[in-house]
Amino acid sequence: MNLDEALKTFIIESRELLEQMEEALLHIERAQDDPEIINAIFRAAHTIKGSAGLFGLEYIVAFTHVAESVLDRVRSAELQIGADLVALLLFSRDHIGTLVNHADTGEDPSEASNVRSRELITRLNAYLGHKAEVPATAKNGMPAELEPHLERSSAEHVETDNWHISLRFGRDVLRNGMDPLSFIRYLGTFGTLVNVVTVVETVPPISQLDAESCHLGFEISFQTSVDKAMIEGAFDFVRDDCQIRIMPPHSKISEYVQVIRDLPGKEMRLGEILVQCGTLTAAELEQTLRQQAQSEAQDKRPIGEVLLEQHIVRPEVVAAALDKQKQVKDQKTAESSLIRVDAEKLDQLINLVGELTIASAGTALIAQRAGITELQEAASTLSRLVEKVRDSALTLRMVQIGGTFSRFQRVVRDVSRELGKDIELVISGGETELDKTVVEKIGDPLTHLVRNSMDHGIEPAEVRLAQGKPAKGTLRLNAYHDSGSIVIEVSDDGGGLKKDKILRKAIERGLVQPDANLSDKEIFNLIFEAGFSTADVVSNLSGRGVGMDVVRRNISALRGSIDLDSEEGKGTTISIRLPLTLAIIDGFLVGVGKSSFVVPLDLVVECIELSDEDRRAANERNYLSLRGQVLPYLRLRDMFDVKCAPVRRENVVVVQYGNARAGLVVDSLQGEFQTVIKPLSRIFSHINGIGGSTILGSGEVALILDVPRLVQQVGSQAEKSCLEAA
Amino acid sequence: MPNQKTPKDGSAHFAIEGELTIYRAAELRDAILPQINQADVLEIDLSQVTEIDSAGLQLLVSAKLEAMIRDKQLHFTGHSEPVLEVFDLCDLGGFFGDQVVIAPHTAH
Amino acid sequence: MAKTIMVVDDSASLRQVVSIALKGAGYDVTEACDGKDALTKLKGQKIHLIISDVNMPNMDGIAFVTEAKKLPEYKFTPVIMLTTEAGEDKKQAGQAAGAKAWVVKPFQPAQMLTAVSKLVLP
Repeated sequence: MNLDEALKTFIIESRELLEQMEEALLHIERAQDDPEIINAIFRAAHTIKGSAGLFGLEYIVAFTHVAESVLDRVRSAELQIGADLVALLLFSRDHIGTLVNHADTGEDPSEASNVRSRELITRLNAYLGHKAEVPATAKNGMPAELEPHLERSSAEHVETDNWHISLRFGRDVLRNGMDPLSFIRYLGTFGTLVNVVTVVETVPPISQLDAESCHLGFEISFQTSVDKAMIEGAFDFVRDDCQIRIMPPHSKISEYVQVIRDLPGKEMRLGEILVQCGTLTAAELEQTLRQQAQSEAQDKRPIGEVLLEQHIVRPEVVAAALDKQKQVKDQKTAESSLIRVDAEKLDQLINLVGELTIASAGTALIAQRAGITELQEAASTLSRLVEKVRDSALTLRMVQIGGTFSRFQRVVRDVSRELGKDIELVISGGETELDKTVVEKIGDPLTHLVRNSMDHGIEPAEVRLAQGKPAKGTLRLNAYHDSGSIVIEVSDDGGGLKKDKILRKAIERGLVQPDANLSDKEIFNLIFEAGFSTADVVSNLSGRGVGMDVVRRNISALRGSIDLDSEEGKGTTISIRLPLTLAIIDGFLVGVGKSSFVVPLDLVVECIELSDEDRRAANERNYLSLRGQVLPYLRLRDMFDVKCAPVRRENVVVVQYGNARAGLVVDSLQGEFQTVIKPLSRIFSHINGIGGSTILGSGEVALILDVPRLVQQVGSQAEKSCLEAA
Repeated sequence: MPNQKTPKDGSAHFAIEGELTIYRAAELRDAILPQINQADVLEIDLSQVTEIDSAGLQLLVSAKLEAMIRDKQLHFTGHSEPVLEVFDLCDLGGFFGDQVVIAPHTAH
Repeated sequence: MAKTIMVVDDSASLRQVVSIALKGAGYDVTEACDGKDALTKLKGQKIHLIISDVNMPNMDGIAFVTEAKKLPEYKFTPVIMLTTEAGEDKKQAGQAAGAKAWVVKPFQPAQMLTAVSKLVLP
């Protein structure tokens, strides 16, 4: 571990905190009085400032400090948080992000950044009552104490060049974990302890001793070149309950009088100690005692003592009494119980688990062939365990989609301002988990869909009102698990898609034939075709060269699919269906001739035997009857042109994807199989209906069926034949 | 741990072992006091003291004061390295040392 | 034997920097990310000084110090609290809990080292 690595940690940590801060800021308008949220924002700024200080990143400290001060006012309810302040804090948050980026690249902030810093600080200071806020950077909150303003007449000054420190520790010092000896040792780190006299008179004999109370005192003659504040600093932590007198070299004798007075009944001994310390000469002691007698006679405390006492009242103590901060409970988040793991390490683990899965399948196969019962049992136990290991390894990569969703609060907020529309984002299903790699890649397509909905979907307020809708538009992000996939929905309550317009445009652009007979769904899905735009006006949000076709391509790359549903005047819902993971799936192994295929188990609904009746009918129609319902089907034998003698009995694997079902006709059903997905190389990528390959326990290769594609293919064929039949 | 050793030539022996710190100050105080009560001459062995802090130092001072008040003899022996360091820091060698211990007090 | 210091803060980078500084000065360091974590780590080792942030998730510094001081082996362990200039109330709460020393955030590694060495030299 070195400072560079620590700085890296700081960068990552700061970015996370800024994300939390943003999220909290976006929530705060709706949850004004939630101290948790305010505290989360405050803590983010506070932590960044604290850590930045350690790295000497003054430009971050200085800026964050002002933001933190404003947040502190909010926290203590001195300041009401409103839309303007939220906006300013969001800007500040962004700016901190920029500054953190500077720290990341190791460059000093650019002139633009500095200008921005100044501008934001001015605006933030406005909330602090125009008070010029001095960034507290390196100070330790301990102002140097003024030395007592005492008149000095040379005759009354002691001769020594040494400082004199008189210490009487408070009763509870030891119980508080403070060790007076430590302070003295610490003094020794920046000066010479010329003489230390332990004041033992104040210690009771052991029969009367409470051993955990402190009765110790020290008189120290100290030689140093540092200033008084530094010496005083040694006793910062015990100042409040200890009597500490620090007298500079050549102090006035009257000051020693006070020291002596502090030990009633022990003056003689103390005076002697002072001499012993070398602080006072015998003559000076005499003079001191004389002075003391005089002042006692006058029954009047020396003015110096009064002054000294005034100085003993620390500014901090006063501040403590005056400063009434609202104590806010800490936000309870789970974050700290998490450990950060290098994603690469995780991938490595997943890979190994993949190999392990294959090896385990191999063992099971050999065990089966060997016909040894014990071995088979052992192999099946092993498989079960490997399966569990696989599942938990995969869950390591699972993250909640909520984090991605909440980023859109900001997008929606910014874009609605930009568009002059009032749009609210409603998030649900944020706890739905999916693979980290999927999450990372879903951000861009989602952003595009969200912007698109806001731009083209939700109508301007006046249009909405005219249609009897609330002026405020609603955009929803939802996620849920559905048969082995995660479904992410982006829906709006906007104008919906206009079928005729889409169709007209599609025909215009030659995307469909004018006489094509398309279902509603097919028409809607045309907007995902390359080069399709329905917006009447190209606003500055669209026209960025990214069309819906790119969105679809991105989703397909993740083995997912995208679907659109719309009702004119009511709104549009776009559903993205994605596999939960990209690495390993539970497969269902089927055989056709000598080839093996894997169907993702999650998509298998049931398996049935192909009835003779259906078999005979198969030549005339490409659907079969499943308990009276039409089930389009596909023969894998035909599809992949498997050449071998047809078997006597065939089976149908009924699969479902989304709302569509299809039957896959195969020779044999070989059961469940843990499938490690190996991507197909580029030359096979054009093969329809294959999503990847895997290695069987026997070492043979099996192809993984791209069920979504097959279902779609079968469905459209069946639809066509139905239409033809009609 | 405090340890009662076999008395020889009428004096009592006692050893403090391990930490002589605030954590054990109360316990050790309760162990040392009866030793002083019982013996006129007590030797406390500090050779096995591994750590000493202000509370430990105060305890030794306090024991010494008790002995002085009650006109008993209390000697510390075999000062371990940590003990010596503290005695030196606080300049207490004189206070505890047999010859000089009374000196500062008898001077007045 | 080097003295062991526990650094409790939810900021990993702060822990790292403080840790580097302390180790450089000859102390041993144990890190904890919040009060709960710290309480678990206190057990079974000897800690000579605790440095704890106040505002932390799960268990804040005040609650942590209160709990730690209940453990017989940490009853008298010195605690340095990390406070803000604005955190006078916290400072008082911390003092009541038994944390009598404090360092104001943000601080330089050297400042922390100074504060630590007032209480425990390596």
